[in-house]
Amino acid sequence: MKIFLKIAFCVLLSLNLSAQIGTKIIRNGTLHLGNGEIIEGGVLVMEQGKIIELGSTQKGLYKNAVIIDAKGKHVYPGLIAMNNIMGLNEIDAIRATKDYNEQGEFNPNVRTLIAYNTDSKILPTALFNGVLYTQAIPQGGVISGSSSLMKTKAWNWEDAVVKADEGVHLNWPYLQIAGMDPNKHGEKLIAEIATFFAEAKQYQSMKTPVFNARLAAMKGVFTGTQNLYIHANDARSMLRSIHFFKNNYPEIHLVIVGGQEAYLIAVVLKEFQIPVVLGNIHRLPTHNADGIDQPYQLPAQLENLGIKFALSFEGSWEARNLAYVAGTAAAYGLNKEAALKAICLSPAEIMGVSDRIGSLAVGKDASILICNGDLLDMKSSELWQVYLCGEAIDLNNEQVKLYQKYMDKYKLN
Amino acid sequence: MMMTSIKKLFQLVLFLLLCAKTEAQVGFPLNGPADNRPQYIAITNVTIQVNPSKVISNASLLLLNGKIENIGVGIQIPKEARIINGRGKYIYPSFIELYSNYGVNAPNASKTRGDQYSNNQSGPYSWNDAVRSQLDAISYFKYDEKKSKQLLGSGFGISLSAIQDGIFRGTAALVLNSKAHEQNLVINPKAATQLSFNKGTSAQDYPGSAMGCVALIRQTYYDANWYAQQKGNYNVSLENINKHKELPAIFEVENKLAALRAARIGKEFGLSYIIKGAGDEYQRLDEIVATGMAFILPVNFPKPYEVENPFDAMNINLGDLKHWEMAPANLEMVANKKVPFAITSSGCADANEFFKNLRKAVEYGLSEEEALIALTTRPAKWLKMDNEIGTLEKGKMANFFMSNAPIFNKDAQVLSHWILGEETNINASQTYTLKGDYKIANSNLVDYVLRISDNTKEGQLLGKDTLKVSIQEQLGIYILSFNESKKSEQQIRINVWVKSIDSISFQALTLEGLTQLTDGNTQAFLANLQLVRTEDKKAENKIKPTIGKVVYPFTEYGNENIPKAHNYLFKNAHVWTNEKEGVLSETDVAISEGKIVAIGKNLKLDNYQIIDATGKVLSSGIIDEHSHIGIYRGVNECTQNITAETRIGDVINSDDINIYRQLSGGVIACQQLHGSCNPVGGQSSLIKLRWGMAPEQMKIAGADGFIKFALGENVKQSNWGIESGRYPQTRMGVEQVYYDAFIRAKEYEQALKANPKLTRRDLELDALVEICNKKRFISCHSYVQSEINMLMHVADSMGFKVNTFTHILEGYKVADKMKAHGVSASTFADWWAYKYEVIEAIPQNAAILNKIGVVTAINSDDAEMGRRLNQEAAKIIKYGHISEEDAWKMVTLNPAKMLHLDSRTGSIKIGKDADLVLWSCNPLRIEAKAEMTFVDGVCYFNRAADEAMRMAVQTERQRIIQKMILAKQKGEKAEEKVSMPDPDYHCEDF
Repeated sequence: MKIFLKIAFCVLLSLNLSAQIGTKIIRNGTLHLGNGEIIEGGVLVMEQGKIIELGSTQKGLYKNAVIIDAKGKHVYPGLIAMNNIMGLNEIDAIRATKDYNEQGEFNPNVRTLIAYNTDSKILPTALFNGVLYTQAIPQGGVISGSSSLMKTKAWNWEDAVVKADEGVHLNWPYLQIAGMDPNKHGEKLIAEIATFFAEAKQYQSMKTPVFNARLAAMKGVFTGTQNLYIHANDARSMLRSIHFFKNNYPEIHLVIVGGQEAYLIAVVLKEFQIPVVLGNIHRLPTHNADGIDQPYQLPAQLENLGIKFALSFEGSWEARNLAYVAGTAAAYGLNKEAALKAICLSPAEIMGVSDRIGSLAVGKDASILICNGDLLDMKSSELWQVYLCGEAIDLNNEQVKLYQKYMDKYKLN
Repeated sequence: MMMTSIKKLFQLVLFLLLCAKTEAQVGFPLNGPADNRPQYIAITNVTIQVNPSKVISNASLLLLNGKIENIGVGIQIPKEARIINGRGKYIYPSFIELYSNYGVNAPNASKTRGDQYSNNQSGPYSWNDAVRSQLDAISYFKYDEKKSKQLLGSGFGISLSAIQDGIFRGTAALVLNSKAHEQNLVINPKAATQLSFNKGTSAQDYPGSAMGCVALIRQTYYDANWYAQQKGNYNVSLENINKHKELPAIFEVENKLAALRAARIGKEFGLSYIIKGAGDEYQRLDEIVATGMAFILPVNFPKPYEVENPFDAMNINLGDLKHWEMAPANLEMVANKKVPFAITSSGCADANEFFKNLRKAVEYGLSEEEALIALTTRPAKWLKMDNEIGTLEKGKMANFFMSNAPIFNKDAQVLSHWILGEETNINASQTYTLKGDYKIANSNLVDYVLRISDNTKEGQLLGKDTLKVSIQEQLGIYILSFNESKKSEQQIRINVWVKSIDSISFQALTLEGLTQLTDGNTQAFLANLQLVRTEDKKAENKIKPTIGKVVYPFTEYGNENIPKAHNYLFKNAHVWTNEKEGVLSETDVAISEGKIVAIGKNLKLDNYQIIDATGKVLSSGIIDEHSHIGIYRGVNECTQNITAETRIGDVINSDDINIYRQLSGGVIACQQLHGSCNPVGGQSSLIKLRWGMAPEQMKIAGADGFIKFALGENVKQSNWGIESGRYPQTRMGVEQVYYDAFIRAKEYEQALKANPKLTRRDLELDALVEICNKKRFISCHSYVQSEINMLMHVADSMGFKVNTFTHILEGYKVADKMKAHGVSASTFADWWAYKYEVIEAIPQNAAILNKIGVVTAINSDDAEMGRRLNQEAAKIIKYGHISEEDAWKMVTLNPAKMLHLDSRTGSIKIGKDADLVLWSCNPLRIEAKAEMTFVDGVCYFNRAADEAMRMAVQTERQRIIQKMILAKQKGEKAEEKVSMPDPDYHCEDF
């Protein structure tokens, strides 16, 4: 009896909890889960910042829940912009606003999250287009520093962190520079990289090493808690770097960033299961002989070759166009849901946070976009509502305010 | 007394005439006894190329005092003449090198640190350091031993030597390439002038771009004309340009399009140039022919590239690959079209390379006669020296070279070169032939036969063993070395010399020598000729090598034949008319002879190619108001705050692959704008993207003239890191630049009217006058509201209107004022945050401007975005809630309006140009693809054909790459190569 009561109490309690203020049910919309699947006219229930139910019909009972009718609308997981410097860079031309490039060549110890400015004017414009997370990456030098996955709306950087120091960024030397002795400079740097990794590994095995911030910062790379992001675009650099790490440090989790010629080394990427974060595909073909739309076709090529990839839009303010590169990828042969996955679930998987974000799934953070139309199409991608960890986000930003101000001035409203 | 001295003088003169200039020079003191040698020589039994079309064999050449005294078969040889038996040898008139800096070492233009706005030449010279017309090469001429040897060895006895530095390069001297005192080497101290598009060592900032070079040349010619009229100024540079106007002018250019550019300047000023081309003329041959200019063409053909590594091969563009294959055929193709040309050895590393490539050109179809004309008589004629040089005739200069074989034969080489009858030994000539089988008469090799090969560099010992013999010649003695036996690596070495020679055939009969055995002992060596092998020379393969086809433009996705306009009938399209009819569903559109001729349902027309457009959208083509594609060597002339004299139209690069890429995005026309470096930039060029056509054919005929202005951070150089010395550095200064310039322009206009002859023509002010008179229209790069406001005030005060504000990111703040002024706006959809002046840029800008009634366009300023302008227009729908039709006009009709082209393009209306795009679906959707793009009714892009072209590009690349690898394996030296990518210019690039 007691047990029964207890159970009944628990059930009541849980019903109560489910019915408490904050429960929101999105109904009738087309749910794009971000993992490649779609549920037409589905139901999504969020509570306390989490998705607690998802499906084509509602199973749970939620008293006092707010019903959001998304009929005719499309529901997506919040987008993740990898390979980006928003929050670290405000105005390209003004040095004082740049915080992503530390001096020196080997800086694994510098951490972007420290400099991440949650009051940046750029973040709200990315948010406006559904970018709820950004991988704040360091740039410059050979090893630029370590990146963190951040929310694009928060009170401060501590608050913004989704995953701190999730990876270290290495710029692999480009071995072919027109008009220069092609290999001298690059080979010298590669030798320095080899020494640095050897010493960093040695450092980890020493009992009482003399403290070295740079070497110490490499720990997570060797233990596999941090990714090693290799920035490289040409086939030769990618091959060379993969060869170097697989031969010497097979324990390191490699991710290729850039990857313009990834399709040329697909066999290797596939064999070693190395994911690729593609740079902006809205670019000109690398070579004149390439197909005019080679960059646009690249995601579909990688998908067909079975290579895991994410799409990115490097830069800062530019990342508000992230959804559109996915749209282009879809226009050029990639399944539309697969294109979405490349800016949601795949980034989450690459950064090891797919248990929390990246798709619409029960138990994950309720970071959700409700769009009036197709999110991947410029014309119709206006967002209607946005939730970040369950919290409704005001999409109003400085640009919208200026727009309103002048619409008022001209009496156009 | 008097008589005797005159007689003595005569004797002296006679003596001097007879004993010419071996050592001493007239007028120079002697140090020791005079060493004058008799200059009376007869070369007999020789084959002589008298002129390009006439060869005489078994002939004689009689030389007296540097001139040809007599020439012919069976001529009388005076007793006093020293006879040289020329049996088996060949004589050619000296070649004339027209593009050379032989022996000329002029000082560099002086260097400065940092910006240099004015010239460094102190003295009454041009304002610009790259104008060096005051220089004469002769003042710096000096015999150069190394270069002399190379030229003489390449057959060139005479050089037109210039200072190859700067744009106007002064005069060139016609000199002899032999060794003598310089006083005796000059044929004509000022034989020609030279120009280029390269400012050389000038450190002066201006000109900083190719268009700046053209502008400088143009202005300098005007200045020279003015100078001739005026009094009171003295300027050596201009004086010399006028003084040397009648001399042949040689214009060096870096590629075929630059050749066309030079020819256009020539035409403008009524000048004929001899254009020193780059060897790629065949890539634009029809246009080259049409220039009517003469050419100097090189034979420094590209070497094969390193392409074995596929990754390396990818870095080489198809144009470069094809050029490697086709360059040797250039001369033949040019000759075929009767373009007069001379051949230069410039660019060839040495005589070997020159002759090897010259023969290659012949192998690729150039006639030997034409080659000789191009090396001898034609240059002589151009220099008006054909009565002295170029052929071997009585009375002409005794300038010729002797070779061991006809020079177009594979192993022929220059043995000696004679200038003014004096010999310079080039390749120590053997007076005998060594080739043959020699029976060894003594030593331990008694059973062997020594077989010496054709080139006397190797041989064989035939006997018990067959041993390979290497032969080296040193000072007339041959060193034979070979292994003791097949198994041994011990070397036997023999010193051999020729003991006896057949007096008629010059065949070596007996060889004598000393054998050094492996044990250190020596033995005498003797061998007698056994037989002269006359190998049946394989009939030389005279078949012309096969090469690929020329494509237009000469790059990837070029066409063998430029497509032509046809009659097309689009059936059942959704027609986005941009007219009041709006979108017509299931409608037919017919185009013919480049125009839209019919619009309607169920059109039935004969002789029309039908294009099924069911379910597709037919729209007018996209026009990019702000583009920097197809511009050669620099989009900005940054070096002065006003560069209105520069013209993008001078530097159109019709080979830019981005033209094709834009077509694939439905773009049919663009305004090629100068960059945003200075308050007044250069004049725009309006082109239609007629892929494959030459620059002039891309221009939109009859279009109004436009010019780029710019405001804000770029023109005040705010983001240069350091304080620059150039005015202006603030927005306040920008305004003053304009006021001052326009007032000066108005004063200039008055002066020109009052005194057209004596007023110096100023091309910069000309452009500003045109603006004031509403003959040229401004497209102004702009960001913040204050400066936008300012320029409209300047315009109003000067009596004209600003045509377009481009970028105009804060246009929304002054949209009402813009509307009142009547200016158009051409903006980005969503760019911002890249500099301080764009922090209040909003993606709703275009929508507000549009709503206010300002003609608004979305532009690219970027070769990549240029091919997605339909997507950029779609963003305005999202951000600013405008209609699809309005958004579409922002990339089609509205830019046509601002470029004053809307009467002929920008909408689908009968009578307008057939500039159309067939889209796979609504072009504002992200899925949309341009399936076909038509310009003037010509289909320049067809997505279905593009697929096939990609394959063709790969096939052609692989074919040449295979050929290249083979060439390398056959021993040709390969070079590493990374093709220059076609630039992706933006406003701010310089």
